[in-house]
Amino acid sequence: MKKAQTEILGLAIVVVLVIIATILVVKFGFSKPANARNDFTNSEEASNILNTFLRTSANECGQVTMTDLLQDCAHGNGIVCTNGEDSCSFVKSAATDILSRTLGAEKKQYNFLACSNFNLKEIKCYDAAPLVDEVGQSCPGQKKLKIFPIPLNPGIIYAKLEICS
Amino acid sequence: MNKQAQIQIFETIAVLVVFFILLGIGFIFYTKVIKSNIESDTAEISQSKSVSIAQRVMFLPEIQCSDDYCPKEDCIDTLKLDSAISVIDKPENSLYYYDLFEFSDISIKEIYPSSGVAILLYSKATNDYKNKFQTNVPVTLCDPRTHTNKFGMITITTQTK
Repeated sequence: MKKAQTEILGLAIVVVLVIIATILVVKFGFSKPANARNDFTNSEEASNILNTFLRTSANECGQVTMTDLLQDCAHGNGIVCTNGEDSCSFVKSAATDILSRTLGAEKKQYNFLACSNFNLKEIKCYDAAPLVDEVGQSCPGQKKLKIFPIPLNPGIIYAKLEICS
Repeated sequence: MNKQAQIQIFETIAVLVVFFILLGIGFIFYTKVIKSNIESDTAEISQSKSVSIAQRVMFLPEIQCSDDYCPKEDCIDTLKLDSAISVIDKPENSLYYYDLFEFSDISIKEIYPSSGVAILLYSKATNDYKNKFQTNVPVTLCDPRTHTNKFGMITITTQTK
């Protein structure tokens, strides 16, 4: 074999080694670390908070739950609580209070809404005046979302909680 | 030995030196990758352990609601809670609860209507831990005597080796 041919063969071997090294770096160097706990807590958090909130009793409103208050709010405010608030504004102030003490304390951005004319596909409320108007701020980017339907006679109310990622 | 042969020997030695240097760099990189994979696996196992401890707490029959008036999921019976604290505190039960919760702190706090003081349900700490995780789970605190539901939070802090 001539000298030039030997050098070309050596160069080819070096190129092959560099390609293999690059593949190894890409495969092992940039792999995303797994985070099982965060996946679990993020997916469960919105659901747990909304579920727990809706069955919380309102001491000032005859021990009815937040779900009962939302139903009353949709029917036209029959319940007046001892602090003078009607059902709609009581649910809003309770949601503001609870969410600021839980998600707010963890410096998480959130958005709570209760609405009777809700489009599930678009995830958008079409009420001119929602039952509970936006508590918190809308998420500009990624979010964990939970929507709970509350039966009404007739119709359905939707309670929505977004937690920004 | 003529000069040409000497140059060729030096050339061969230089190529071998470069080859072994490259081999050494490759080996160092490989061991680093393996080490980081092991650390990542260890962290994931620790996180899974923390999640499973949180789930054990959520479904602990000693505190879970069972009354018809109380919801049963994500719910703590406040009457049961008082008894559970004294049962968990007993020295003869410590091994049983260590098997369940290992090195962790479990506390329950009322959030709404009033922001109460956290009640410590279980506490076992170690100084020899590698990872520490805190998980907050919202729960209903149900009082079966008055049929009232309060908004509470369970805080589970787990230490893993």
